[in-house]
Amino acid sequence: MNGATLVRKNLFRKKLRAILLLFSILIAFLIFAVLGAFNKTLNAGVETAAADRLVTVNKINFTVSMPYAYWGRVASVEGVKNVSQANWFGGYYQEPRNFVQTFAVDPETYMRAYPELEFTQGSAEAFFNNRQCLAVGADLALQYEWNVGERVPLNSNIWQQQDGTSDWDFDICAIFDAEDDNVPANYALFHYEYFNESLAFNRDQVGWLIINTEDPSMNDAVSQRIDAMFANSPAETETTTEAAFSKAFIEQLGNIGLIITLVTGAAFATILMIVGTTMVMAINERTREIAVMKTIGFPAPRIFRMVLSESLLLSLIGGLLGIGLAASLIWLMSQSPAVSGSLPGLSVGWRVTFIGIGFMIALGLITGLIPAWNAMRANIAEAFGKV
Amino acid sequence: MFKQTAAITAMNIRSIPQRLGMSLAAIVSIAFVVGVLLAFMAMANGFCATVSGTGAEDVAVMLRAGSQAELNSNMSRDEVLLVERGPGIAAGGNGAPVTSAELYVIVDGKKRGSGTDANLPLRGVGPEGPQMRAGFTMTEGRMFEPGAAELIVGEGVIREFSGFELGEEIRLGTNTWRVVGVFSTGGTVFDSEIWSEIGVLQNLYSRGSSVQSMRAQMTSPEAIEELQAYVENEPRLNLDVQSEKEFLASQAGGTVTLIKFLGWPLAVAMAIGALAGAWNTMYSSVDARTKEIATLRAIGFSGFAAFLGTMIESLALAILGGILGAVAAYLLFDGISASTLGGGFTQVVFSFAVTPASLIAAMILAIIVGFLAGFFPAMRAARVPLLAVHQD
Repeated sequence: MNGATLVRKNLFRKKLRAILLLFSILIAFLIFAVLGAFNKTLNAGVETAAADRLVTVNKINFTVSMPYAYWGRVASVEGVKNVSQANWFGGYYQEPRNFVQTFAVDPETYMRAYPELEFTQGSAEAFFNNRQCLAVGADLALQYEWNVGERVPLNSNIWQQQDGTSDWDFDICAIFDAEDDNVPANYALFHYEYFNESLAFNRDQVGWLIINTEDPSMNDAVSQRIDAMFANSPAETETTTEAAFSKAFIEQLGNIGLIITLVTGAAFATILMIVGTTMVMAINERTREIAVMKTIGFPAPRIFRMVLSESLLLSLIGGLLGIGLAASLIWLMSQSPAVSGSLPGLSVGWRVTFIGIGFMIALGLITGLIPAWNAMRANIAEAFGKV
Repeated sequence: MFKQTAAITAMNIRSIPQRLGMSLAAIVSIAFVVGVLLAFMAMANGFCATVSGTGAEDVAVMLRAGSQAELNSNMSRDEVLLVERGPGIAAGGNGAPVTSAELYVIVDGKKRGSGTDANLPLRGVGPEGPQMRAGFTMTEGRMFEPGAAELIVGEGVIREFSGFELGEEIRLGTNTWRVVGVFSTGGTVFDSEIWSEIGVLQNLYSRGSSVQSMRAQMTSPEAIEELQAYVENEPRLNLDVQSEKEFLASQAGGTVTLIKFLGWPLAVAMAIGALAGAWNTMYSSVDARTKEIATLRAIGFSGFAAFLGTMIESLALAILGGILGAVAAYLLFDGISASTLGGGFTQVVFSFAVTPASLIAAMILAIIVGFLAGFFPAMRAARVPLLAVHQD
């Protein structure tokens, strides 16, 4: 009988107890991994932001538009490689609750600004040359079961055409996606010209500018030049990196990081107490056995290691099962088009898994340390006296 | 029977100190479950109370049909005048209908917590605007002067965002605005807004005479139906008419559902984890006392009394945990201020509210955990064989 067998047999000597402990550990890591997956997806905009990409918005707020001329003026700023512009369309399909994230953009510069986007069906040319083209992200296409060649109307809850209607007709002529699953493809793009020419109000305005700098090291200088150019004008600007812009947007929802930390903290504190106290008790019950092992020549450090391995094994089995269950649940959820449309790229991911394994080791060590210490220090004479 | 149960319960409870660690673990884990559930419920209830709890039933809100939010809507001056001619609108002191045409734009504020920019609503209101919000009072400074680039700021904004303190000067476009007052509407959604006079704002945003939304004080809640019928039959009007209460409730719905959808599954998952822990505690409680229970059974105590004794111990631990969690949640979360993005795409400042209904729901959850955790161990206690007397 080697050490590993002893650890395994000891762990499961009271089957029910071991299963209950494993179960409570499983739940804590399940909560940890599911929340981690949601957090990762929410922050995808920050994680996948390109280092050389800046966003210029109206200084009053990003919902306030800027004159069309700003687009051309920014293109001439030193250090700017490419500028594109985009506008919020506020689209919905048939019913207001079928929200479709849609942007009116300048197609060619927009695709240059986001080189990570690739056309999986149709082509860039089709998008660039067809004024009524709607280029649809793969996640969105899946959600509404849209295919290339279909004609769909989209309504806007903001804009109106000169004839008083608020629906625009589109040809779906291209579908785009990104290789990295974390890059969202749950929105649609169409021609700014098609949008602008029919607007009843707010014509010749742009929502925001997307800038690629020649090098990320020039970001600060470029931002300052752009904002200085429009200082003291009716529409002052604020230029930030794409990452900072995304982060500020997520912060608007509230301190999600803090909420997740508190909930997982509560879950971990719970198992720490449950597993910790149970391990102390389980080892106490075995004091006589440990004394026997010592009597027949087991060295104290080996006993210490055995008890510690037991708690580590417990924590790793429970934790890995929990993360595995979370990964399966999240995978099932991400198969639903409604979820992949609103939370594209939802998955547990390696980062969360590795942090989880770190927590498992920490939990195993913390809960095992005191009982292992007690076992190592157990005095043979006293232990035999114990009934 | 009762005496037997009482005796066993007393014995069980007196022996808790022998299993102090495990019993505490059970209590604390249940307290955490209750705490997490109450925190989410307090968030949902606080937000809901702020956004939907305060809209008036006798104020009609009009938006362009299909626009869903004030930000997206727009109305021309002609439409405003047409609505004012509609039925059921209360008349003011001078005989004119009490209405307020309003502009709703978004400006940046800095969130105190994170220092990042957040969307704050800047509302341009007419002279009747303030009185149409029940409980409107100026708490500091004064009202804006008509025609001046002056702002008054809701209490909630001051609490959660920086940049709009009294006396502060703010540049929006080419104009410099001054904050001249702080107002309160008693914790409603309007406390998260910044107000100015509509004319000045129309000018700044070059909106001409157009507005975004319109509120009308109705003679009674039922009068809204008359106005709806009037708008429906008037071909020159393409508006959605609803009571302010309905409008705000529709704005709150999504966020509240989302918070509750997150809170309940989390609490239930944690409850299952805590159940495993409490179960463990109760089994060891029974195991540790096998000999005592067998002795009691041998001298004539019934199995049912042994069952109840263990059950009551389990429930006592759960209730203790529940109370601990509820008290902690109340002390930690009740009344804390937070803000999130609301239906109008702007920040809504709200206070967490731990409500009696959520306290009851949380205690029921704790009792269910206690009951389930006690049931099988209690069965084992009831079935302890008499021969276990000889166990060592």
